[in-house]
Amino acid sequence: MSADVDVVPGSVCDRLVGGLTTTAGDLTGPPVEVTLSSLRRSTTDPDSLARPDGPFAWKPAFVRRSLGLAAVRACADGRYRGPAEAVGPVAAEAVDEWRRTGWRTFHWEPWFAGLGVGARAAVLAGAVTWATPVWASADWAALGDRAVVGGADDLWTCPGVPTVRLKGRCEARVGPALVSVSCGAPGAHWAEELGYLGLVAGLSDPDHRLPARVVGLWPESGDRRTAPVDEALLVAAVDRVVAAVDLVACGRRAAAHAPAA
Amino acid sequence: MQTTELLDTELLDTVQVDGEQVGAGRVARTDGTGRVRQVGDPRSAEGAPAAHGPVWAADWRPLAGPALLDRLRVTGRARPAADPDLVARLLAHLEHGLPVDGPVATGGRADATGRTPVVTAERLTRALACPAHAAADPGPADRSLPLACGALVDVLFRQLVTTGTIGDPLAEGLDALALDERRTPLVEWVDGLAPHERAELEAEVTRQAEGLRSRWPRLDPSWLPRTHDCLRVPLAGGAVELVTRVDLAVGRPATSASTVALVDVRSGARRPVHAADRGFQALLETVRSGVPPFVVATYYARTGELDVDPVTPELLVAAARRCRAGLEVLTADGRAPTAVGAPWCATCATSTVDLVAGAPTADPDLTSGPAAEPRLVELGSRPSSSAAPVDDVGPLPLLEEVAA
Repeated sequence: MSADVDVVPGSVCDRLVGGLTTTAGDLTGPPVEVTLSSLRRSTTDPDSLARPDGPFAWKPAFVRRSLGLAAVRACADGRYRGPAEAVGPVAAEAVDEWRRTGWRTFHWEPWFAGLGVGARAAVLAGAVTWATPVWASADWAALGDRAVVGGADDLWTCPGVPTVRLKGRCEARVGPALVSVSCGAPGAHWAEELGYLGLVAGLSDPDHRLPARVVGLWPESGDRRTAPVDEALLVAAVDRVVAAVDLVACGRRAAAHAPAA
Repeated sequence: MQTTELLDTELLDTVQVDGEQVGAGRVARTDGTGRVRQVGDPRSAEGAPAAHGPVWAADWRPLAGPALLDRLRVTGRARPAADPDLVARLLAHLEHGLPVDGPVATGGRADATGRTPVVTAERLTRALACPAHAAADPGPADRSLPLACGALVDVLFRQLVTTGTIGDPLAEGLDALALDERRTPLVEWVDGLAPHERAELEAEVTRQAEGLRSRWPRLDPSWLPRTHDCLRVPLAGGAVELVTRVDLAVGRPATSASTVALVDVRSGARRPVHAADRGFQALLETVRSGVPPFVVATYYARTGELDVDPVTPELLVAAARRCRAGLEVLTADGRAPTAVGAPWCATCATSTVDLVAGAPTADPDLTSGPAAEPRLVELGSRPSSSAAPVDDVGPLPLLEEVAA
């Protein structure tokens, strides 16, 4: 077991940049964005990584996280007693703001505003169900400034390989820890996946400072696991990233060389 | 003993309780496992009074408002405490015989891809059906008026819990279903119904929605009501995953004390299998969170009936046995399962097997010790009336874990 580290070790950076340069240095086309989701699919459904993404369309699943986190924040601020009370007003405020100023806090405001009553209720209900275990998992109000619920994604673009971008999205930062919330149950590679979030957080920090640990919550299965961020975990995460990008790159090369139908 | 017997036999203890708790003029019965339920169906399937069977008081009416909530939260029993030993034994019982080296074939979905096979309550019921009922079961229908009604009532109940209102039931229900691409065929089918069929569907959906609206009170947000809560229990390192979805869960999840109530909403008639489904939900919530829910219930939107099972160790043991029997069938792969037979068929109205005492015994460890001691319901000794679905928060593990 390797010792905890405070900043991203140079050897880890070199391993990541070297691996990505080898696998995707000559890659052309749209940027490859590595996310926790794509990292998981690289083991559960690798073929899907090689396929081009379909056209984007809003779905309730895309709203529940951002709306749910906003609801948790509003509850932590003492404005509401629980997510069930918070989601409606929070969504209405966002839509009102968009209508008044054109500013889209969550991006889904125009889509949400165009839904019928029943569909809006379904979206709100999904957000409540998503947010409730998050709200119940900690005394967010007591944590005060030590906890940041939501927040910006961590982004890092590989030097020399501009087509590859790593995106880390955690649900909260509590002191030296990141908190990640996932659907389903932890898979065999849960530790590396939590390590990925720690890696991207470190890479995107100006001083390459790492979180001490990443806590994963899987509310559906009731699991809560912690991955202390150490060098071994970071190396394992780097290898997963490189393998996932390799899948995408191979898929693109195969598509480019395939005879036209 | 199965639900139908509870409903039909005259041998059970019969108690009359006040309308505040069980419903005006309602007859409640108890069985040896401590279940207390409203009995009977106010109408036959055709809407006429049933010729025989359940006893109904003439002035019975469905529970509504605070009485409905009280029926859920006042079970007549102390709320179960966290019992790690029982949870460990339940889990060991479920995992007994399952391989530990990855997904197993269950004759179900996704085995070829290496994904974890999913076992739901419906799959268990089908697996455990006796030959006669298995042969008679046409399988899940893709489209039918009852299925459409069920899907619509499902989303309307969700809407009611979330927003507190239902306006135009059919339009708003279809609106919600249309968001779910898996429901697209059903929505298209409803859109293509002949006018008289659509009118029939609309009438029933409107009637049930009105019942929901008039009987269900607004749930306090501090009770953390949530809908479509997915419960998932991987077994044997991912060999199989038990999955169910609860229509309504109330109470703070994952605390050391039992604060969670689970409610399943049905748009059709009461069926014996619903009791088994409640047991399955109680089992999964217990194993998932380590703490049993204090109650599992089925609400029938068609009639306003409410079947309530206080969660006891006996109920959990029975559910675990049934689940294991089903898993044995699903994973038998040609081998003869050892704990299977007609007694587990939930549709067998003639079954005389008590779900706890008479079920095939597979693991004596499960029934040893205080967990299996029979307990009698004591209607007179209720928990404090202040026992709201959500009690004090208690320790918050995440706070301790991340802020250290």
